[in-house]
Amino acid sequence: MGEIVLKNVTKKFGSNTVIQNLNLTIKDGSFTVLVGPSGCGKTTLLRMIAGIGPQTSGTVCIDGKDISEVAPGDRGVAMVFQNYAIYPTMSVYENIEFGLKNNHIPKDKRRKLVDDACEKVGLQELKDRQPNALSGGQRQRVALARAIVKQPSVFLMDEPLSNLDAKLRVQMRVELIELHHKLKTTFVYVTHDQIEAMSMADTIVLMNEGKIMQMDSPRKLYRDPDNLFAARFIGSPAMNIRRFGNEEYVLGFRPEKGIISTQEPQGCYRTSGTVVAKEDLGSEIHYSVRDMYDDVSVIRSEEDDITVGEKVWIGAKPENIYLFGNDQLRIREDDPRYPDLCRQVLALQ
Amino acid sequence: MKKNTTNTEELETRHRGNWKEKIKPYLYIAPAFVGIGLFTIYPVIKVLIWSFQKVNQLDTSKTKWVGMKNYSYLLSNGAFQKTLLNTFIYTGATLAIIMTCALILAFWLNKSQGHLTMFTQGAAFMPHVISSVSIALVFSMMMNPSFGLFNKVLTAVGLPASPWLTSSSTAMPSVVGVASWKAIGYYCLIIIGALQSISASIYEAASLDNAGAGVTLRKITIPMISPQLFFVMITMTIGSFKVFDTVRLLTDGGPNNATSVLVYYIYKQVFWESNIGRACAAGIVLLVLVGVLTVIYFRLLSKRVHYQ
Ligand SMILES: Nc1ncnc2c1ncn2[C@@H]1O[C@H](COP(=O)(O)OP(=O)(O)OP(=O)(O)O)[C@@H](O)[C@H]1O
Ligand SMILES: [Mg+2]
Repeated sequence: MGEIVLKNVTKKFGSNTVIQNLNLTIKDGSFTVLVGPSGCGKTTLLRMIAGIGPQTSGTVCIDGKDISEVAPGDRGVAMVFQNYAIYPTMSVYENIEFGLKNNHIPKDKRRKLVDDACEKVGLQELKDRQPNALSGGQRQRVALARAIVKQPSVFLMDEPLSNLDAKLRVQMRVELIELHHKLKTTFVYVTHDQIEAMSMADTIVLMNEGKIMQMDSPRKLYRDPDNLFAARFIGSPAMNIRRFGNEEYVLGFRPEKGIISTQEPQGCYRTSGTVVAKEDLGSEIHYSVRDMYDDVSVIRSEEDDITVGEKVWIGAKPENIYLFGNDQLRIREDDPRYPDLCRQVLALQ
Repeated sequence: MKKNTTNTEELETRHRGNWKEKIKPYLYIAPAFVGIGLFTIYPVIKVLIWSFQKVNQLDTSKTKWVGMKNYSYLLSNGAFQKTLLNTFIYTGATLAIIMTCALILAFWLNKSQGHLTMFTQGAAFMPHVISSVSIALVFSMMMNPSFGLFNKVLTAVGLPASPWLTSSSTAMPSVVGVASWKAIGYYCLIIIGALQSISASIYEAASLDNAGAGVTLRKITIPMISPQLFFVMITMTIGSFKVFDTVRLLTDGGPNNATSVLVYYIYKQVFWESNIGRACAAGIVLLVLVGVLTVIYFRLLSKRVHYQ
């Protein structure tokens, strides 16, 4: 139905190479989320798949067929644009209907499809409105409905929920997951929001500067990052890191795996410092501790009596520590350097 | 106690402030209003009054009321009827030609980029900057039936020569041609501006929605530039109705009134026949026609114009 394969794809804007020799296979029926910092090329990638910003070189295939020469309208893809791209001179209904009309779907069938799509995104009341009389979130829903109504084999969504309020976003997130389950088509979804990425994706493609840093399931990406970038990008607050061994290696541990205590922890990596902030979020407490190198965050789920300004110890168990080499790549347990580095870490002060 | 005094003080200042505040806005707009009153409203009223009078410029005491006589003269006068017809023909023809050419040129220039486009854009706008006098001079020379450039070219390619401005059948088309040539660039630039304000992603969305070129033009481009098109149509209609310089310089309304238009007629009444009353009546006719046309435009078209 909709396997997308990008082979040796390069995209240049003038002399500026944004994506170089990228290879990516998006499985049919998967919910793939593209994440990465702003400007890393997520939108560019979607546009190449859609055919509205064709690659400079390389091939894009859908279902094993090279579609580089196929017009965007004939690729069987629908896209939700980052800036909505609503047709300003058409009503909500006409906006959603436009694609169907161009594909010569009979009128009564169109009406039914549009009504269904409107219902899915909660636009029933607004069908006759002009776009300039819609809020940002409502426009986004029009864009979503416009994609849904076409029943494409590939959905491309560029941050489709970024302008919705928190409640509606959660609701739409669930709707989209359900929609994906129902349609079983390929979803390629761009977001800045880690929670969105973690909760919706079955595969996350993490990008940086036009390169794929890691492509894995959310769980694997979080628990077993391949490199420092992936480790730091996923998770909030970001993983605590510290250089050691003549600045050659980096150790890291997640705030939620950190130990905070007034007593020196044993059999652990440990450091001591002063609590500079304590944020009580209700379900958990975020501590910021300043040691002699940096700020370290620790998250605890139970209340305790540590206060701001207090001297504390921070620790992390060896199994919760991630090691990275100078090339930013992960040093895993099977690496010959691992045992020695582990000993170094535990001896650090 | 203390609180009380502050309160009364406050009230007083607010009261005084109130009076000043009320008069302030009027003071601010007063200069503009004096200007408008003096230079717009007063002349219109004066023209309206004169249009019902037989005006004697040398001895104003001999000016007398003649009721609708000026108007009835105009409406039954063959020359004036011809003038009216000419004005409509001129307006319709320039509107159609300029609109079509400006649109085509704008679409073309908007699509392509590069030095040639920049040059064409500049070249198309050029006539708008050149004074009408120079344009008229150059075109009268080129349209000269015996030694003008146009006829030389026509005969060189084997076509019959044209009398251009000197025959009553070709004079009006010639004037329309010159006027259109002068205005196309300006209106083209307005339309290009409108076209460039349409975000590229709208077209990308349309291409994903499988919209062909025709559908995209009809359903997206034209509606999106409709406010500018509407503006262009209204200003162009009013401008064409008031055309004077091109006619005065190229043909002097001739030959045989073939290119006489409303404002030229008014000019002739004033400066050749010294008939101020009649000129004013013709002026009022012009005012009413432009007003009626504008209202019709708004009635017919404003529903199709999409303001965002
Ligand atoms: N039309 C263009 N011309 C030149 N450079 C462009 C163009 N479009 C994008 N770029 C550049 O390509 C890079 C990737 O852009 P892209 O829009 O894909 O980023 P993104 O990952 O979607 O970012 P964001 O999360 O902010 O939307 C950026 O550095 C951007 O400046
Ligand atoms: Mg983007």
